[in-house]
Amino acid sequence: MTTKQTVKVTVNGIAYERQVEPRLTLVDFLRHELHLGGTHVGCEHGVCGTCNILVDGKAVRSCLMLAVQVDGASLTTVEGLRNRDTGDLHPIQQAFVDEHGMQCGFCTPGFLMTTLELLRDNPNPSEADIKDALGGNLCRCTGYEAIMKSVRLAAKRVQEGQDIGLTHTD
Amino acid sequence: MSIEIPGLPEDMPGAELKYVGKDVKRIEDPGLVAGTVEFIDNLDLPNMAHCAMLRSPHPHARITGYDTSAAEALPGVAAVITGEDVKRWANPVTTAPEGWGSYCLAVDKVRFVGEPVVAVAAESRYIAEDALELVNVEYELLPVAATAEEAIKEGAPRLFEENESNVILSKTYDWGDVDQVFADADHVVSEAFSWNRVGANPMETFGCVSTWDTLNNSLTIHGSFQTPGFMALGRAFSLNLPTNKVKVVSHPHGGSFGGKGGPRGSEISSLLSRKAGGRAVKYIEDRVEYLLAGAGQSWDRRYDASLALKADGTVTGFKVKLLDDQGAGAEGYGTISIAKPIAAFTGCYRIEAARYDLNVVATNRAPTYPYRGYGPPPHNYVLESLMDIAAQKLGLDVAEIRRRNYIPPEAFPYTIPSGNEYDSGQYEVTLDAALDLADYKALREEQARAREEGRLVGIGVCSVVEPGVFDWNAYTTVGIQGIGVPEGAKVSVDIMGQITVTVGFSLEGQGQYTLAAQLVADFFGVDMASVRVAYAATDVAPPHFGPGGSRLGVAITGAVLGACRKIEEKFKLVTARLMQCEPAALELADGLVRIKGVPGAEMHIAQVAGTMLARSDLLPPGMEQSPEATYVWTAPGRTEPDEQGRCKSYLTAANACHVVM
Repeated sequence: MTTKQTVKVTVNGIAYERQVEPRLTLVDFLRHELHLGGTHVGCEHGVCGTCNILVDGKAVRSCLMLAVQVDGASLTTVEGLRNRDTGDLHPIQQAFVDEHGMQCGFCTPGFLMTTLELLRDNPNPSEADIKDALGGNLCRCTGYEAIMKSVRLAAKRVQEGQDIGLTHTD
Repeated sequence: MSIEIPGLPEDMPGAELKYVGKDVKRIEDPGLVAGTVEFIDNLDLPNMAHCAMLRSPHPHARITGYDTSAAEALPGVAAVITGEDVKRWANPVTTAPEGWGSYCLAVDKVRFVGEPVVAVAAESRYIAEDALELVNVEYELLPVAATAEEAIKEGAPRLFEENESNVILSKTYDWGDVDQVFADADHVVSEAFSWNRVGANPMETFGCVSTWDTLNNSLTIHGSFQTPGFMALGRAFSLNLPTNKVKVVSHPHGGSFGGKGGPRGSEISSLLSRKAGGRAVKYIEDRVEYLLAGAGQSWDRRYDASLALKADGTVTGFKVKLLDDQGAGAEGYGTISIAKPIAAFTGCYRIEAARYDLNVVATNRAPTYPYRGYGPPPHNYVLESLMDIAAQKLGLDVAEIRRRNYIPPEAFPYTIPSGNEYDSGQYEVTLDAALDLADYKALREEQARAREEGRLVGIGVCSVVEPGVFDWNAYTTVGIQGIGVPEGAKVSVDIMGQITVTVGFSLEGQGQYTLAAQLVADFFGVDMASVRVAYAATDVAPPHFGPGGSRLGVAITGAVLGACRKIEEKFKLVTARLMQCEPAALELADGLVRIKGVPGAEMHIAQVAGTMLARSDLLPPGMEQSPEATYVWTAPGRTEPDEQGRCKSYLTAANACHVVM
């Protein structure tokens, strides 16, 4: 054990300040210090993408970062996707529901965050673009076909004008 | 009352189907995409401690001493347990066959790499893992039985020294006159096969939170349990608790595929809670633990097998000798995986006689557990490979030899030599559909062209029967007793006409909560949004098993329809009294109990439920004030096995055909 350090971070638009050990992983920080349990832990060594979140707009494995590394950063997790006023699902979440893009749903938050990064940067992705983006996320139930459909549907809705922007992470 | 499971949506009771057989959104999904579902690691109890386990680095070794004093002295550590505590407080797990179970922590010796040896509960997982580094365990290495072949040799090191050898089970079943059909055969093809260990690897590993109430001597375990009732019963036996003092709460889990297991993790966290004076203790298996020795490994097999054939390709006999490596004992009930193939031993084919020579062996490898419907794929691999070898020998097309041997549609229900009855099947239709989809003729032409160019391209055709809805009797072979696996559901209608279905299993990914809501909504003719599906923990749930053995879609359909029928019957009695008509004049549809053919003579189900709950004076004499019902469904017609293990076991016999280039 070592001396604790201060981490100041904004998650889904809300500012937090905590004292943490330098060895605390970012995903454990989110889950157990901030009680944001939507980001799940699959492999703990950067293989499965279940714990993906956005750090300053970029998708990262939160199991491979330490909490102290995000001091001063702005984070988005799956809890930040829904409309805070209405509780409505985000267009990407709705697309996954509409196309049955999950079975057990444990890996889904990671897929959603990866898809958010993809469609924000490339609202009209090709099949190859989608496969390339999702290549770092594992699912053991679906066989991926329904996930691909979900991303295609989300992309279509973005092209039709649905807003996937998240004002608090801009 | 018996419940027929609808074979098709149109066989459902009720006038108009709005949900069954239709494309509906799963009720499970909004919570899953929102990240609000309470997977086990999202559960935090007050003052909860966290468990970490020290695991054996040796495959077989005697434990000659522990030093846990430094770990116990580390600030933040709540409890440390070793095999000494476990020997005092617990029993080895029950197994089938009996006598092949280990304690949750190694007692006296370790039998596989990754076996838990010492466990710590501390304020955080980080501190618990720090404490493990301060633990010393002394070992004296023992000789190792690394493979099944080694384990059955004379003088092999014995894993369970109280048992005479490492052979867990050895028996031979003869179904029909096997020697005769082989003697009469025009051709016999034989081959040896091996199937490597596979792993389930769900995205979420096993996890649990145990709280031992030291005042009432009772235990509550929350966890990612696939079969909560079965887990509760097993923990009561292992932890010396009365069966009604162990409560298991199953949380939604991130996949299982059979490989979630959890007996050891549950017992270790429970004993840590006991030693820590009743503090809740959470154990979350990490991925490395899961891969090393979690409950996800299965099917480690060697086969010698033969087919007897007539000159025209008719298969008359099938002999299988199996050497199955269970790993270090039978703690995971992996043994049942060698029994399930009996329910579809001869696959899709009319084969007169068969022999199953079973040899199930313990080795110094991680114990195996059930996986993916309990074990037929390696057996299918053997049978289907032999069909290919036979086709090659006889110069027949691989699709043709299968076609010639299929059980014909008019033969169903069909009893296979190993005793199970297939309810139905159209194997040739399935084959033709697969051949069409693959454009088999074009594939063969492409293959021929490739061969001309000097490239070897293979085409595989494979037909299988996958038995569904398991029954305990299918596992009599390995020593499991019982016939009938109950699955219960309670359906309640409230005073506002809202309906709640209560079941004994939680979310695993297959969508059974949605199925329950579809069935109830269509049965009563109400909106699916007015149906809620709730989970009941083992202390209050009706008899249940949960998902396993490809059963729950069928079983929960039977349970829900049964409960709905019972409510319908009560509602008609109440309504008939109020409307002064015969119950038989009434029908249930559109959320109404109404007199058939008399428009407007109707009561909404909310009014009927409200009358039952609030106007006892209006009820038929003796009627309970209870607009709810529980029904426990069991597969009908299951039979007691004979001395050759033959019985009606699995209820359904699904069929698939694969064509692959």
